[in-house]
Amino acid sequence: MAGKPRTRRRPPLLRIAFLALWVLFVLAPLYWVFVTSIKPSDDYLAVPPVWFPSDPTMVHYTAALFAYQGLTGLINSIIVSVSATVLSVIVGTLMAYSLARFNTGGQHLSFWVLSQRFLPPIAIILPLFLNYRLLGLQDTHLGLILAYTVFTLPVSVWMMFAYFRQMPRSLEEAALVDGCTRWTAFWRVAVPLAAPGVVAAAVFTFIACWTEFFFALVLTSRNAFTLPTVFRAFLSFQGAQYGEASALAIVSLVPSIILGVLVQKHLVRGLTLGALRG
Amino acid sequence: MADVRITGLHKHYAGGVHAVRGIDLTIPDKQFTVLVGPSGCGKSTLLRMIAGLEPVDEGTIEIGGEVVNDMRPRDRDVAMVFQDYALYPHMSVHNNIGFGLKARKFRPEEVERRVRNAAELLGITPLLGRLPRQLSGGQRQRVAIGRAIVRNPQLFLFDEPLSNLDAQLRDEMRVEIKRLHQEIATTIIYVTHDQIEAMTLADRIVLLRDGVIEQQGSPLDLFERPATRFVAGFLGSPRMNFVPARLDPVDGVPALVLDGPTLPLDPSRAASFEEWRGREVILGVRPEHMSKADGGTSRKPAQAPIRVVIDLVQPTGTRTHAQFRLNGTDVTVELPSHTVERPGTAIDLLVDMSRVILIDPRTERTIPG
Amino acid sequence: MAERAGITGAGGPAVSARRSDARFKWLLVTPAALLILALSIYPLIFSIWVLFVNYDFQIPGHAFVGLRNFRQVVADPVARYALWVTVCLTATCVAVEFLLGLALAMAMVGTFRGRGLLISILIVPLFISPVIVGQAWALMLHRPFGPTNYLLGLLLGQEVTINWLTQWPFNFVALILADVWQWTPFMFVILLAGLTSIPAHVFEAAELDGVGRWQVFWYITVPYIAPMMLLAVTFRLLDAIRLFDTIFIMTGGGPGTQTYSASYYLYTIGFTQFHLSRATAGAWIFMVLTLLVVFLLVRRLLRPEAD
Repeated sequence: MAGKPRTRRRPPLLRIAFLALWVLFVLAPLYWVFVTSIKPSDDYLAVPPVWFPSDPTMVHYTAALFAYQGLTGLINSIIVSVSATVLSVIVGTLMAYSLARFNTGGQHLSFWVLSQRFLPPIAIILPLFLNYRLLGLQDTHLGLILAYTVFTLPVSVWMMFAYFRQMPRSLEEAALVDGCTRWTAFWRVAVPLAAPGVVAAAVFTFIACWTEFFFALVLTSRNAFTLPTVFRAFLSFQGAQYGEASALAIVSLVPSIILGVLVQKHLVRGLTLGALRG
Repeated sequence: MADVRITGLHKHYAGGVHAVRGIDLTIPDKQFTVLVGPSGCGKSTLLRMIAGLEPVDEGTIEIGGEVVNDMRPRDRDVAMVFQDYALYPHMSVHNNIGFGLKARKFRPEEVERRVRNAAELLGITPLLGRLPRQLSGGQRQRVAIGRAIVRNPQLFLFDEPLSNLDAQLRDEMRVEIKRLHQEIATTIIYVTHDQIEAMTLADRIVLLRDGVIEQQGSPLDLFERPATRFVAGFLGSPRMNFVPARLDPVDGVPALVLDGPTLPLDPSRAASFEEWRGREVILGVRPEHMSKADGGTSRKPAQAPIRVVIDLVQPTGTRTHAQFRLNGTDVTVELPSHTVERPGTAIDLLVDMSRVILIDPRTERTIPG
Repeated sequence: MAERAGITGAGGPAVSARRSDARFKWLLVTPAALLILALSIYPLIFSIWVLFVNYDFQIPGHAFVGLRNFRQVVADPVARYALWVTVCLTATCVAVEFLLGLALAMAMVGTFRGRGLLISILIVPLFISPVIVGQAWALMLHRPFGPTNYLLGLLLGQEVTINWLTQWPFNFVALILADVWQWTPFMFVILLAGLTSIPAHVFEAAELDGVGRWQVFWYITVPYIAPMMLLAVTFRLLDAIRLFDTIFIMTGGGPGTQTYSASYYLYTIGFTQFHLSRATAGAWIFMVLTLLVVFLLVRRLLRPEAD
């Protein structure tokens, strides 16, 4: 009945080989960037390429942070990302609770919030640029923070919405009967219980702001530029500042990778705006 | 004075579900009233509307003479014990119990005093420092009750509080709740689907079905004088037996004819059923109202003899449930242990015709008499 | 009795439940709604005005120009080309990411030692800025000092001098490579969640019935996770359409305009040449096309409301 007889289990060689290859594929560029960031400049021109420098140096890091203003970009990124995250998560959680418990605004409001996620940035960036110039928000921290808040709201709202939905109402109801107003029940019962979701939403929002390029490119220049925009100075098809570019790359990707891996439990929920649970 | 007066109450849910259909109900002050019925009958919805957790579509709810329809739950001075206990997982037992008092800005000394009193009353004082997840089901239930009593409300609401407990714990908690009512003497409205809880706890039972009140009264009232077949079959375990029959005189004596065997009516009741002569009825007889005939000695006029063949035997310890077939229906009789051992045994029974009811098969209502 | 009154009074006068609830729920959505109105809806409405006037740093004034902005975009061969590039790149990237992601997910089903660590490694690319991903791959593919050409040369036995950033078709391969590297984990994570949600007993029953592996895949696995597949593809597609960052940093759209995506094209028109109204017109056309795709795909997603 069954084709060939199932004998002992062979080790899944194909599977292991495939996974090993993929891991290599993932780690190779990261390794190469790291190594390039600590190579002395002479090593760049070496053929065959230097796989690990014999005398590693930190000179590119200092150059990137200071000569190329990487440090300013870093500080601006921190300011903007943290502020936008705080604003987005607070505002988003409030809205999410209202949507989850009261179905406020019905389908229309939900649709409007959801559709923000799918708007092509170029369509928003153009009028935003024009308006910011008129309002004096161009190249300011506040301008970018506001833009980032709006563009990360869908993620905050929908992650928290999904989280509140799967919390049983009985706890908030007990609080209401016990003597809380809706507001107190929200703050003292619902939010503490949703803390893991809030943390996850905050991390994903932060990473989105930290890695964003297009908005920052257009809406900032000398004052409020963020870390990703500093890479303009290293346009790869022109310059030869491999070391500085790599150093800055490492500086940027280490924090966001650490944060992202820490909340990976909530990753599926974050990526699908709460439509699926991991 | 915390009586609850409900007039013309309606509740609709999305999808055309008419959960509560025009209920009029008065719940007397200080009494233990149980709302009981099968799932979907509207009892929980009714309770939640009294608490203020569901808005009222039509009708009024008055607590202590005040119309509370549009009042927030916190202003109604009621306390509620939920089925899943709804303890705040991030707070200690002490803070769980005192939460309501703090929310209403009681002085800390007062909060402390009341929490300790409640904990003493429920025997949970050593648990005050723990978190809910460190407690067993029974302990959590006590904390939930503690949270309710500490506020001294005018009305207590219980929403199927024992459903999540295992059978033995349920029996213990039932006793506790009954004792609690004797101690605190406050109006209690208690929702359950379990008829044993209803019977043992209630001063008054309100039996609901499909959003309307089927019957209300004291437990024994409903048990001994059920108004409908539904009520008769709902209360009592094992369930009452329903056997189709025809009312026809046999040898000049009014009797029930069961396609073979006949059961003469209790003479003191026979007159009330006169107008049903010749018509089909349903006989309702509880398993405990049949007993083994002890062979020849005198029997009371209300006892009707019948010979049956047992086809199923279920011992439960002190009693045995034996089943036989009568007029196409399975009938259960409750007998002392060892009366019947094997299926296939024939046995003589005496049916206590003074306790049976007759039901109109068309309206499903009990025929008075 | 006095105690009773004190209890109800402690919270303030009795407020209408309906009204306080309504106030509460609308108050909660107001901040978010205001932000969206101010920073998304208002700019869009503003841009509608821009569509029909002249807004150009090279030409002063905001004269009404009718449909000229649209005509300029539609007439520009680069615009049409950029759209075509977007479609091709997006389709290729999403297809490759989907297949690889599915293969990865299937390889990672079940428990084994080190699985958690492996997943942590596999998702790393998702948290990196796309410009940095582009930068990293540019370094990897660099000619002549990058490792790629060197290793390829070893493999093929002859010197490899491909310029991955400027030489057709390799520049497209480079862009696809960077995108696939970064976004395959996106598919992987979602599809893995889908695969692990299939209850084990379904497979056990199939095994007892003697169903072959391939049939199990086609007739059990795929139908089960089909909605998740659609979700993953839809989300990824809508993101891939915006392709900008990697092009900016890896090829600069070049050589010439060879690797222009729609977003990059509009960027150059609007922010290097400052023909802002023309760029806005192009952006609106692009947005309408995107919304069409969204509508078609999301409608299919939302119809079987299975959540």
